[in-house]
Amino acid sequence: MENYIKNILAPKLQGDGGWIEFVNFEFGVLTVIFRGECSKCLILDRCIDWIKQEIKRDLGINCEIEAIRKKPFFWDN
Amino acid sequence: MAHIKVVRRSMRPEEWTDLRFGWLKRYIYEEKFEIENLKVRNARQVGENEYEFYPEGWQPLKKGDMYFTPDGTAFFDADVIIPERMQGKELWFSLKTAAEIIVKCNGKYVGGVDPNRDRILLTPYIDGNTALHFEMEGYNRSKPDDERNPESLSVRGCRQIFEGAYLAVINHTVLDLVYDIELLLDIAKSDSFNEDYRAFINRELNNALNLIDFDDVQTEDVANAQKYVNDVIFANDDYKGNGDVALVAHSHLDLAYYWRRIHSVQKNLRTVLIQLRLMDRYPDFKYTHTQPQTYEMLEKYYPEVFEELKEKIANGQFEPVGAMYVEPDCNIPSAESLIRQCLYGQSYYREKFGKTIDNAWLPDVFGNSWVLPQILLKSGVKYFVSNKMSTWNDTNRFPHNNFIWRGIDGSEVYACVPPTHFITWNAPSSVQENWDAYQDKNSGGQTLQMFGYGDGGSGVTEEMIELMHRFSKVSAMPKTEHLGGSEYLHKNLDGNENLEKWDGELYLEMHRGTFTTKSDLKRMNRKLEYKLREAEIISTLNHLKGATYPYEEIKDCYKILLTNQFHDILPGSHIHPVFVDTMKELNEIDARLESVIGTGDKYFNSLNFKREHLTFIEDTDGHSERLGVKGNWVIPNIPALSSAVIPWRTFAGEWCEIADYITTPFYKIKFNKDGSIESLFDRELKREWTDGEFNKLKLYKDNPGVYDAWDILPNYKEVEVPYKIISPLKTIEKSSECAAFEVILGTEKSTWKRIIRVFRQSRGIEVENIVDWHEKHVLAKAQFDCNVLTREAVCDLGAGFIKRETHRNTSWQQARFEVCHHKWFDMAETDGGIAIINESKYGAGFYENSASLSLLRSTIRPDIESDMGHHEFCYMIYPHPQDFVSAEINNIAYEYNVPMVKADLTCENSFGELFLQTMKMSENGKMIVIRLSEQNGKRGQIELSGKVKILNMLEDVIGEATTLNYSPFEILTVGIEI
Repeated sequence: MENYIKNILAPKLQGDGGWIEFVNFEFGVLTVIFRGECSKCLILDRCIDWIKQEIKRDLGINCEIEAIRKKPFFWDN
Repeated sequence: MAHIKVVRRSMRPEEWTDLRFGWLKRYIYEEKFEIENLKVRNARQVGENEYEFYPEGWQPLKKGDMYFTPDGTAFFDADVIIPERMQGKELWFSLKTAAEIIVKCNGKYVGGVDPNRDRILLTPYIDGNTALHFEMEGYNRSKPDDERNPESLSVRGCRQIFEGAYLAVINHTVLDLVYDIELLLDIAKSDSFNEDYRAFINRELNNALNLIDFDDVQTEDVANAQKYVNDVIFANDDYKGNGDVALVAHSHLDLAYYWRRIHSVQKNLRTVLIQLRLMDRYPDFKYTHTQPQTYEMLEKYYPEVFEELKEKIANGQFEPVGAMYVEPDCNIPSAESLIRQCLYGQSYYREKFGKTIDNAWLPDVFGNSWVLPQILLKSGVKYFVSNKMSTWNDTNRFPHNNFIWRGIDGSEVYACVPPTHFITWNAPSSVQENWDAYQDKNSGGQTLQMFGYGDGGSGVTEEMIELMHRFSKVSAMPKTEHLGGSEYLHKNLDGNENLEKWDGELYLEMHRGTFTTKSDLKRMNRKLEYKLREAEIISTLNHLKGATYPYEEIKDCYKILLTNQFHDILPGSHIHPVFVDTMKELNEIDARLESVIGTGDKYFNSLNFKREHLTFIEDTDGHSERLGVKGNWVIPNIPALSSAVIPWRTFAGEWCEIADYITTPFYKIKFNKDGSIESLFDRELKREWTDGEFNKLKLYKDNPGVYDAWDILPNYKEVEVPYKIISPLKTIEKSSECAAFEVILGTEKSTWKRIIRVFRQSRGIEVENIVDWHEKHVLAKAQFDCNVLTREAVCDLGAGFIKRETHRNTSWQQARFEVCHHKWFDMAETDGGIAIINESKYGAGFYENSASLSLLRSTIRPDIESDMGHHEFCYMIYPHPQDFVSAEINNIAYEYNVPMVKADLTCENSFGELFLQTMKMSENGKMIVIRLSEQNGKRGQIELSGKVKILNMLEDVIGEATTLNYSPFEILTVGIEI
């Protein structure tokens, strides 16, 4: 899962100025950190749904995603 | 306590007008027919016109479905029969989207839709067919174009909801009134216009809209409302405006920024295509488009659109502007790189369109080097356009908009720094704001307003043109004229004797961090600039011996480097994938140039002066190590443009005493444990060089805010980041030429190894830095408090130098707390000083007797990972007698930057004190082109052994000579026929 996030999904999000980092995957829950443009995206939920679909298709895993947004200080107000 | 302030009041009349205006827009489409059999195929672009497709393949796409993926491209396909009721009518395609979509219908490029436009006229392009086949390609950008359109801001994001695609028929009566009201509401809501006029518009618009029954909208009522607007509002000329504004249509395009460069191929296609379609509909519309590189891409991938573009160039509607190949950063690239931007840019324009463009169009660059005017002038460019100094300066208001810019050598070009941003939407308010901000009302003629969305926002919209056509109806507006870029410059600047003059660099008082952000890009840029020089000189000399000159290989490598000098690539202001792409490309051309250079038995000195300063020569059996490579420190003693074997001789004597003080033939040095220098006593000159912290690594909190990669704030020194000495200074080498001392410093996240070298035969003290860098928002500098009384620092510009005050007497000096330099800077008294010579750094700061070399930053926007990881770089402290010219600091810096390569070649050197900047085969293959650069501020004469052609920088022959007279900072180009 970690490799998949890092090598398959992360470059795609980075292409839009976003950023995703794997934290852990336990008991069917994938925890990831979103930075960059993702950290303040108003419709991140749509992207999270897409990530679930991609994981299901490519890894055959149904998972829930716990998203941690880490906004840079200049957007954190 | 949190609370919500409740305001209860009745609707204002203006709000009632706004509401009805919104309702009116619903009637723009008279008829709509939904295209229901759309299919979509998701992909991701991985190269120029190369895609990886998602495994789902083609899927049906219905209104309400989610579409697009992160960094995604989507392809669409649909077949539709035009319903009978719409046949014979003016037919449009309508699709409201946050993405940028190119639309083909029945095999023809019909236009594009994006957040700034949602319909395309089909009728002229479908040849009366009733069966339509649509093919579309869309790129979804999560960051809209420069965040200028509030409507597009609200729909940003990687995943979008499909709102349906339609065939449509427009009610032009409604649309005409919509544009009238759009125009008038912009005035009514703008503080830039007369209050009474705004009240008049509000009152009369209300009256006009009262003529429409919004419960039963009839076209006849709409026509009556429009007649009212014409007869009452537009007919009124009681309110007089003033001013004269030239409107130039333009779409700025960042080749890479929040998108990879590969996406700019399609961004450019969409932009060009949309502007071409507007030209079809509006014969008076003309548009300016920059960057030959984008034309080249269009020609390569979309030849049919390129052919259309050529027709529109021929009829004068589509105007190529900007002589440079791309819009490069204009601080960091060498003079030769800037010349090549012009050479390759102009060559393309000449070859494809038969035009030499006489303007440089650089609206978005982050300041402009003082070397530019000469380069432009000698490249056929008389006019210079750049916006940022007027709109972005954070301290001083740049005093001119239309003026003469005088360069380092005295060359003068006409300059235009328009008063407002280069992306505007051509509303009355933006026209008025431009005129209000214009500072040369009495001397500069018309003011320049560029209009059109940028960065894939695809330029001008139908709305902008429609509004422009109505400007003359509004008496309260400035007079406007729609002009081409060149037309504007010629009309207002050419021969204008009233223009003021600016003599100096065009320093941008912002984006000072871009001299340092993404250290690796800067290092590779410097390395490759000199490697290209080496490759051309060696290839030319080999060609004279019979070898084939690798024209295409060198040109291709040069173009890749020039493209990556784009003003959001080399400065480091881009997302992470752009950095990855760029480093890959730069490493590839590094390897290609290695092959071009080849090898030999001897070392070749490509410099046109004798190499007599200590140089590190790689050798696996060497006695020293530098940047992890074995080798020897030797004085090559190779004459100019010659090759020789460099012998290694061990010096047997004792030359360096290592105790509390390090004593060398030149210095008695006391180091601190952190590698900084407490005392640097010059044994030859009998003087102390330090006066405080010297060669001290300084780490500062660096929090410039949203413009993270771009800016350094003036208060950056307020908070220092502490570091520890992990391993105190120790001796790691004492060989016959060099003694080296190593210290390892560290924070909780990073380690910083410094190796400081002193030499038997050199005044230089080299500092090697090997850094494992994992900070966030930290700026690293090396500080040098010099025992030198001076009020100016001299900075290398790559082809000459600039003197910058080190005091803070006025706001102009205060604003220049961080500046760009090239190979070296120098602080000196009349009989000696200290130069800091680098091989990959560009940022520096000066205050009184203190100088600092900027080393690394650690920003997180736009790239979270910017500058993270491993870095290796060196700089050299070079105390010297006399001034920097007498001490030959520039030559020493060249020797430090140009590595020795192996090639068995020689060449006559008759270039005097001028620097051989380039030796290459001319683009037409008929001459050897030699470019010489005066860099020390001297005047002189060179007697040549034979007659040469005098060339401009485009390699046109402009004369002949056997004697070359040169003046300070002049760059001369000559051709020798073969």
